[in-house]
Amino acid sequence: MTARAVVLALLLAGVVPSMVVGETPPPTQSEIEEALTCQCGCGLTVHSCNHLQCPSGEPMKDEIRSRLGAGETRETILAAFAAKYGEKVLSSPTMQGFNWFAWITPFAALLVAGTILVVVVRSRLGRAAAVPAGAAAAPGDDAMRARLARELAEMDRDA
Amino acid sequence: MTDLGRLAVCLALVCAAFSAGTSILGALRRRADLVRSGTHAAYACFALVALATGLLLRALLARDFSLEYVAAYSSSTLPTNYTVASLWGGQKGSLLFWAFVLTLFSTLVQWQNRDRNRDLMPYVTATMMVIAAFFLSLVTFITDPFERLAQPAVEGADLNPLLQNYWMMIHPPSLYTGYVSASVPFAFAIAALATGRLGDQWIRTTRRWALFSWFFLSLGNLFGAMWAYEVLGWGGYWAWDPVENAAFMPWLVSTAYLHSVMIQEKKDMLRVWNMVLVLLVFSLTIFGTFLTRSGVISSVHSFTQSGLGPFFIWFLLAVILVSGGLIVYRLPELRTSGTIESFLSREAAFLFNNLILVGIAFAVFWGTVFPVISEWVRGVKITVGPPFFNRVNAPLGVVLLFLMGVGPVIAWRRATPHNLWRAFAFPVGSGVAAWCALLVAGVPFSLAQATFALSVFVLGTIAQEFWRGMRARQAMLKERAPQALARVIGKNRRRYGGYVVHVGIVSIFVGIAASSAFRIEVQQTMKPGDVATVGRYALRYDRIETSEDGHMSSLAAVLDVSLGGQQIAVLKPEKRFYKKPQQPTTEVANRSTLREDLYVVLGSYDPKSQLVTILAYVNPLVVWIWIGGLVLAMGTAIAVWPGPAERRAEVTSGAFEAERA
Repeated sequence: MTARAVVLALLLAGVVPSMVVGETPPPTQSEIEEALTCQCGCGLTVHSCNHLQCPSGEPMKDEIRSRLGAGETRETILAAFAAKYGEKVLSSPTMQGFNWFAWITPFAALLVAGTILVVVVRSRLGRAAAVPAGAAAAPGDDAMRARLARELAEMDRDA
Repeated sequence: MTDLGRLAVCLALVCAAFSAGTSILGALRRRADLVRSGTHAAYACFALVALATGLLLRALLARDFSLEYVAAYSSSTLPTNYTVASLWGGQKGSLLFWAFVLTLFSTLVQWQNRDRNRDLMPYVTATMMVIAAFFLSLVTFITDPFERLAQPAVEGADLNPLLQNYWMMIHPPSLYTGYVSASVPFAFAIAALATGRLGDQWIRTTRRWALFSWFFLSLGNLFGAMWAYEVLGWGGYWAWDPVENAAFMPWLVSTAYLHSVMIQEKKDMLRVWNMVLVLLVFSLTIFGTFLTRSGVISSVHSFTQSGLGPFFIWFLLAVILVSGGLIVYRLPELRTSGTIESFLSREAAFLFNNLILVGIAFAVFWGTVFPVISEWVRGVKITVGPPFFNRVNAPLGVVLLFLMGVGPVIAWRRATPHNLWRAFAFPVGSGVAAWCALLVAGVPFSLAQATFALSVFVLGTIAQEFWRGMRARQAMLKERAPQALARVIGKNRRRYGGYVVHVGIVSIFVGIAASSAFRIEVQQTMKPGDVATVGRYALRYDRIETSEDGHMSSLAAVLDVSLGGQQIAVLKPEKRFYKKPQQPTTEVANRSTLREDLYVVLGSYDPKSQLVTILAYVNPLVVWIWIGGLVLAMGTAIAVWPGPAERRAEVTSGAFEAERA
């Protein structure tokens, strides 16, 4: 157990810092466009909106281009758009405050449901009769032959 | 004639209410005459709704612009096929069409069960007629499709140009068919709960209806994706729009039901869960209609919005309360003795498959309604768009794909190491080999890479099942391989049909993963003679072509496409400008091959400078999504076709009940 813990600690010591300090590549134009919703009413991201000379999407694309040219980070650019249009301009909820619920609820629900499922199944495992392992209908050749024999008998009845 | 239509709808509502009332009364008082009366009233209801639908269609085809609906959704220049589609292109028509499909299915169910399920049928009739009465009330009192204009319009406003596409001819009817047919298993579930006949009979009776509903929901979703791909022109086919989500959620839960119901049939387990799933599928179809009609959440697909939202919400609440109450009332009888013996078993794999499917459905639901919740709680409008849904659902989808490989081949009850080795050595080996090949080919470590490797694993399990079935037959009966393969499928259509459906789903997974992860896109402004390079292709802009008729004018950029110096195609992406209403639309030019789609959109054109801006995408393996849909359809057809044993069981069951009566 201790050995496992040491190995895990070493792995974490090696991997996590490299993940944290690893160089973040500069944001791309399309990445920022995907993170913003076009305000023309199309419901698509700025990147996906292809309205003819869209009065909302095109200026937004130009602004992203100029901000990227000025060396701004993804966070600064998105914050600037959120300040200008409101939070609804972001194509997905931020990972802050109440918006955390948007992200964690599906996984939390799945985790809770999965845990309940495992607990219920475990509590019933004991009740199951002790059946010799492998006596179950495995989909091997024997099971296949048994099924085939049943089907053949059925075919005989049909004929 | 239109007054006759209104009268028919009113009488249909009366018939639906009468049918529901007398069916329940007949069942409670055990009076066959009342039950028969209820059935006949249901038939009459269908006849009247069919008459009303026919009259509205006739008014559309006759361009009777004295009717508000005809004037709002068609015009004298609208082609006939789209005039037919305008029957479901607007809210009033679509609700009447819904009632038509529902009463048609009700009639089919009555006819199918004329000698069977006599205890259940009065409640089935009553449930379906209550649903019909709800829709007919809306059509009668709130949103009358036969409303006359004070002054007949000279010309119609026309159908929304985005809906003037051939996929729109079949996408909404497919989706409606899927939605509405979900009410059949729901009605039988309610009948089983009401009568206490909670065995497998109602499940066996509705198995084909559940598959039918699932099949049309699948097609409806795929046709909708095809429409979005061709018409919206943004290079993709699924934008996680609320209305798309509304169609996707019942599909997910319906898929979960089709799997968990096998556990009930084989192991007499999950009765409560299956009831919940059936009720959930139906509730989600109503919720979907609420989303489309209420306008509570903005959607690119909501072409008609109204104040109908509260009616749907109240109806939904009533459905949940009544069905939930019945489940709670019958809970002691729904408990079964069956139990899971091991986590390494097919039962457990199916349970986890259900968990993931319902989990994805919940994630989609949560993402769809979260903007409304956020506004309630914080007073701030937010957007939950594709990046959220992709990040949340993609990993869950990969887990689901893995379980799709495990479920069908792991042993029932309890798998031993020997079983596991026999079942998984080849598929796992294939998956690992595919993964190595992907690494060698330089495919980066990603969810797409995992999807490809797992797809090979799943296909390995399916191929192994076919191979072993065929070999066992050959060994025992000395049949030739094709004959043995055909017979092994024919004798167990449900099982092998299911495998074929899985092949289709794998194909869809591969198409989605490849086109999402490896898409190439280029936007370029060009003058005649300029060349744009998009992936392997060179696109030379040649000229602009224009055309005009009474209905619209169009502008197409002519592009010569070359591959390796050889001209392979001429593509003409278009912009169309409809005259009524004045609205531009995009007509994508797409060269589709098994390897990739070259998808080109005309962004803009400046007549003065002759400059065009094109958006060109190379979408890898997209066609496999549509091929997957075809395979899925084939598999469903195999699964739904009755084998000799089922036909015999049906005849026996009918004869037995007839004798008992």
